[in-house]
Amino acid sequence: MTKEKKLTPEGIVKSFKDEFKTKIKDVQIKKRAAGKKKNETVTIWMKIDKSAFKKVIEHLCKLQFPHLAVASGNDLGKTIELIYHFTVNFGKRMEEINLHISVELPKSKLEIETICDWIPGALITEREKMEMLGVKIIGIPDDRRCFLPDDFPKGVYPWRRDETGPDKFYKNLHEVKK
Amino acid sequence: MKQTATTKTTYHIPIGPIHPALKEPVFFEFELDGERIIDVDVKLGHIHRAIEWASRKRNPIQILYMAERVCGICSYCHPAAFALAVEDAADIVAPERAEYLRVIQGELERICSHLLWAGVAAHEIGFDTVLYLTWQVRERALDLTEYLTGNRVTKAMMMIGGIRRDITKDMLPRIQKDLQYFKDCYNKLGKVFLNDKTVRMRSQGAGILTEEDALKLCAVGPTTRASGVKKDVRVDTSYFAYGDLDIEHITPDKLTGVVNGDVYDRIIQRLLEVKQSIELIEQCIDKMPSGDIVAEPKLAKLLAQLKKVTGEGVGRHEAPRGEVIHYVKFDGNDAPYTWKIRAPTYNNILPWIPMLKGEQIADIPIVAASTDPCMSCTNRVGIVKDGNKYEMTKEELHRLSVEKTRRLMK
Amino acid sequence: MKFSMLPSVFAQMFKKPWTNKFPAKYAPSNTTNFLADVGAGKAKLIPPIETPPNFRGKIQYDKEKCIGCQLCIKVCPCEAIEFKPKEKKIKIFLARCCFCSQCNDICPTDCLSMSDEFLLADADPYSKDLIVE
Repeated sequence: MTKEKKLTPEGIVKSFKDEFKTKIKDVQIKKRAAGKKKNETVTIWMKIDKSAFKKVIEHLCKLQFPHLAVASGNDLGKTIELIYHFTVNFGKRMEEINLHISVELPKSKLEIETICDWIPGALITEREKMEMLGVKIIGIPDDRRCFLPDDFPKGVYPWRRDETGPDKFYKNLHEVKK
Repeated sequence: MKQTATTKTTYHIPIGPIHPALKEPVFFEFELDGERIIDVDVKLGHIHRAIEWASRKRNPIQILYMAERVCGICSYCHPAAFALAVEDAADIVAPERAEYLRVIQGELERICSHLLWAGVAAHEIGFDTVLYLTWQVRERALDLTEYLTGNRVTKAMMMIGGIRRDITKDMLPRIQKDLQYFKDCYNKLGKVFLNDKTVRMRSQGAGILTEEDALKLCAVGPTTRASGVKKDVRVDTSYFAYGDLDIEHITPDKLTGVVNGDVYDRIIQRLLEVKQSIELIEQCIDKMPSGDIVAEPKLAKLLAQLKKVTGEGVGRHEAPRGEVIHYVKFDGNDAPYTWKIRAPTYNNILPWIPMLKGEQIADIPIVAASTDPCMSCTNRVGIVKDGNKYEMTKEELHRLSVEKTRRLMK
Repeated sequence: MKFSMLPSVFAQMFKKPWTNKFPAKYAPSNTTNFLADVGAGKAKLIPPIETPPNFRGKIQYDKEKCIGCQLCIKVCPCEAIEFKPKEKKIKIFLARCCFCSQCNDICPTDCLSMSDEFLLADADPYSKDLIVE
């Protein structure tokens, strides 16, 4: 597929579904209008199965090299959901398509492959997931801590809502001082 | 130079966390061979304040003000992206007049930020006169901001579903006068930055970021546009009122015809963007529709409406430094379940590594400052040379940079 | 070398600086003595620049109009407002206030407004001047 071929949201979804069939679990296409002329921006939310993750990213990079904005994470109780926010089709007026790919990982086996070999710019956001949620990223070139200080205790993950969360560090200053 | 000359040894210089180039602490470790940089390593996290975690106890209106205090210079773009994310999740549509007013405030902030950057970049080269000149122009921009919003820096203008203050007819003459002043100053500043021999000598050929590197490392903002990659959230998507306005991607070849991706290109890029911002504000004032400025004026009702929302939303905005993205997830409580902020500088840190390889130490301030990192500044550079540690202060690093300018001028 | 800057540098020599020299032309060596002199009429304070209209300064509270609905407490991002349950009125701590004026917007009876007073520095965060009730 050459870069000149125009990517439509339905075309992207079809291309993923044809390749991966049942591994793509849930797709939603949302459109949002703004301004007087009500031009629309398209967003695709896609849930995929963990086993197909690396291949999905490879397929996306071959379709058109995306822009990875950030990867965010949710602690949903028994699983942790990672959402990768991509955009494609930048460079032309009002044709950018937002693509959010979410993967659910069970807390018993929190592992996912790295995408740094396809998209080198993902290094910092992957390191952040490792230290904030405790996800083990296999194959990452650099696994040091990114944002937390070095003396922050290991095993405490600030974004989690279970017993490994940081609640014991929380102090109410105005209760202490006022 | 060295006695045991068979194997070349390299020095490792740690720079940081308090830092020569701009506003926040960052830790670098350079591997040097003489004056040339061979390798760079970056460490972050010195100003981590757990803002996202603190949002778990606050309702969305309180979070707007927390988002504002993430950064002082880009203090409008974080509430803007957050409001966009909440409106996406809760399906609230802001009225058209509010969207145009939001654009005006955003572009005014862009003018202030780029003028600040221009002054600091000139200071890093050693050209202090230009620093005073640009910051003098910036004072007028800040006075205009204070007149429109009530405060110079933390403007508190954003509200979910609209904007808090209107621009009435009697404010328009003052805005027109100030825009005319900016246009005159733009011509003067443009001549200084682009034609002056000192600026050209220091910046042409320094800190090159190729187009391929900019794409692969997902760089954002003027840093990546100066390397030729056309990424701009205002042009690519339609949010606020940008869909109605006449706007296009700006890359340095509009002025010079060729894209090099060096510091000089970034200077051109930011100057052209200031001009674009002035034109956008003029377009908005001409085309502004009448109407409400907020979708739901009764805030207690808005809070009750937001409490019932379940779902996720993403908001993206083009800050002066690049793309800001906020992700919000609601689950039916007062406070959101998750809030993720990504400031633009975090994507622009990895490009520092290819930019700085092969440069000299005296070029570090100007190359690092050319990406306009939103980082706070200061002092120490520790150098380990032949096993003896001695420290170099910001004044010394700055002195080295100025001395190089003098040497080049001879 | 700096030919492009030379005309403006030259012109600047004859222009007046933009700075308004508030409070005095040079910093006084002893602030307390200086303020005592001003009180006695011996020294003059150069006034600050006029604040624009709708400037967000110290908060003004009209106690009679307040109905004790606590909406301002819900919306304050800094937790600077405290409720007095017996009188059903509020107490605002200026040491924590961030001057966003969000409480003004949400109040149903319009009893809160922002004045243009901004010279509020004090050594004690809980002094009488910094508590509005």
